[in-house]
Amino acid sequence: MKRRTAALALATAATMILTGCSTMSPGESGTVTLNMVESLTNPARSDLLKELIADFEERNPKIKVNLISPPTEQADQKIRQMLQSGSGVDVLEVRDITVGPWSNNGWLYDMKKGLGGWKGWKAMTENAVKAAEDTKGRTYFVPYGFYGLSLFYRTDLIKEAGFSKPPTTWDELLEQATAIHDPSKRRYGYAFRGGANANSNATAVIEAYVADKIDTSNGYKLASGRTIFSAPEAQDALKTYLKLFKEASPKSSVSWGYPEMVEGFSNGSTGFLLQDPEVIATVSESKSVAKDQWDTAPLMAGPGGKTVQPLATAGWGVADGSDHKAAAVKLVKFLSEGKASTSFTKKNSLVPILRTAIDDPFYKTGPWSSYVTMTEHPDTYLNVSQPRGVAWWTEWEQKADADVQKMVLGKMTPKELLAGWDAYWTAKWQREK
Amino acid sequence: MPAKVSQRSSRPRGGPPVPGAGRGRQRPEFTTRRGLLIAAFMAPAAVFVAVFTYYPMVAGSQMAFRNWKLADLTDTSWVGLKNFGDVFGDPIWGTVLSNSALWVFGSIVPQLVIGFALALWLRRRFRFRGLYQALVFFPWAISGFLIGILFRWMFNSEFGVVNDLLQKAGLIDEPIAWLADPKMAMIAVLIANIWYGVTFFAIMILAALQSIPDELYEAAALDGASRTRTLFQITIPYIRTTLALTVLLRIIWIFNFPDLIFGMTGGGPNNETQIVTTWMIKITQQGDYGRASALGLLVVATLLVFAVFFLLATREKRGVKR
Repeated sequence: MKRRTAALALATAATMILTGCSTMSPGESGTVTLNMVESLTNPARSDLLKELIADFEERNPKIKVNLISPPTEQADQKIRQMLQSGSGVDVLEVRDITVGPWSNNGWLYDMKKGLGGWKGWKAMTENAVKAAEDTKGRTYFVPYGFYGLSLFYRTDLIKEAGFSKPPTTWDELLEQATAIHDPSKRRYGYAFRGGANANSNATAVIEAYVADKIDTSNGYKLASGRTIFSAPEAQDALKTYLKLFKEASPKSSVSWGYPEMVEGFSNGSTGFLLQDPEVIATVSESKSVAKDQWDTAPLMAGPGGKTVQPLATAGWGVADGSDHKAAAVKLVKFLSEGKASTSFTKKNSLVPILRTAIDDPFYKTGPWSSYVTMTEHPDTYLNVSQPRGVAWWTEWEQKADADVQKMVLGKMTPKELLAGWDAYWTAKWQREK
Repeated sequence: MPAKVSQRSSRPRGGPPVPGAGRGRQRPEFTTRRGLLIAAFMAPAAVFVAVFTYYPMVAGSQMAFRNWKLADLTDTSWVGLKNFGDVFGDPIWGTVLSNSALWVFGSIVPQLVIGFALALWLRRRFRFRGLYQALVFFPWAISGFLIGILFRWMFNSEFGVVNDLLQKAGLIDEPIAWLADPKMAMIAVLIANIWYGVTFFAIMILAALQSIPDELYEAAALDGASRTRTLFQITIPYIRTTLALTVLLRIIWIFNFPDLIFGMTGGGPNNETQIVTTWMIKITQQGDYGRASALGLLVVATLLVFAVFFLLATREKRGVKR
């Protein structure tokens, strides 16, 4: 018994010392070990990252990369704790919604200098270059791809209902979805988003309606400087949107989030779905909807014939507390160019950051082509920066989600909702000044 | 009565102590050296608890009195009771409170009744009893969040199994929008929680039931006591302490159990299933750690007061009986 206890104590002590040492030691013969943390973790993605890292290590024998993959739900919180402690992270996944608060707290390294003269910038799309800089011209992350909205639709159902092509405006969507909607047959027009992240689609419709007057540097602002929620068109937008819920969506979509929406479309019961490109992979695997039964169409326009692509993004950044910034920037560069970037965007169903990727047959054909159409017509599908980097973004999302739910439950009118949102953003911007 | 039983059983087995035997031989003398040794053995555990439990608790508590927003940690000045004021002043505070009460009592009463019935039934000897017990207790081993997600799909209005079964059985004509209808959402999460928690009551009560000596039942049977009378005059009084403690524990746990609601509804629709702890998570996610800590301290304070009253009340009853 005594011996066993002693052995156990020894083992514990040994583990503690060894693990302590491995983070403390500078490594043998000048080898640098980088700790890299990802945020939007999933097993397939981590494997892919490991492959890319192996490639990087082969080219840079003096750099070792240790990939840390916390579960997605807790990842940003974990990264936050690591950053707060000031060590242990070199390269990290930064999202448009986390860059604001993290850079504000001085946790991120401005890579502007390290990336000066980098040839990778020239290979990137305009969107990517724009997203890599914040409003003050600092580079806290290099985007690895974009999440954008397109309309998933059932080719067979719209044909049955007598339409020859998918909707191009929100009004047409309302018309077609209403025609398809028949709850008695368990067939629904539109996969409405009323639960988590309900704000995103609600603001997408508002932005489409005010596209003519929008400030392209801030998707929530009009060129006049007021909020988009103050525009009279915003009320028309929400009226259409509310009708879409009442006349063409399943009742329970009040609480639908991402999983229900995607399930509704891929199990064949729902005709239209507004979602990110990553859903292409999920729907392709569906056994209820065959390949020739669905496709995607570009995002619907407002009455003015234009719309706004509410692009969301994330990328790789470097921690301010890192002791190996040069090596870390090297890794960021590697991940953001050439084959590494293309295979990352392809396998993760992301809108690519490289110009050349658009010529890839993978993006040119099938459900991906609508994204290419949108990228090729920036006059119709406006590139507008979304204010997702502001420090109060998560607070806003929760408020806005709750309000959308109130509106569809009839506890709040579109007018009241818009007045509240207008007041919220006006106050925030004023305080910022 | 239970106290007596436990006293008797805690007496050391074997013969009475031999009067002549020296003390030193039975128990080694307690010297300073020995004391230090014991302290040294206890130190790692004490340090562990201090560093990983009490330090974060204290550090977290002070956030409640500061402007601690993750979005901007450059200014974490002291703000006194402002965070508490924000909590009390929030328009949904009343809803959150009444929802929490409904959540706790709506869960605990059915859990207790069904759990008790299950325990009584499992106490009888029948074939495959062991297997059956294991199956009944199984849900307790699953994470609450996972159960939340499972029930979220089961209660899904269009694709869920609950509506499907109800419709096939002819009990409803139209699907019920369980999680989307403000009136039904609380019922749905309660059903899930009752299912989840019954098991714990069954385990605890069954263990207590097995401590009741069979002689008592035999005596009662000889005296011609009915089953109801046996239940109320032997079974329940005998396991009263366990019952009280289990109920106390469960009230605290259920109050502190946001996992299931979070997985099922996230507190929606329109905050209809928002309880104190899910609300706390929401506020944490918004990055306002100061306000979340204030809410956390309120939860701790409420539960402490509750625990003290409950323990006093149950002790008094025992005193009266004696």
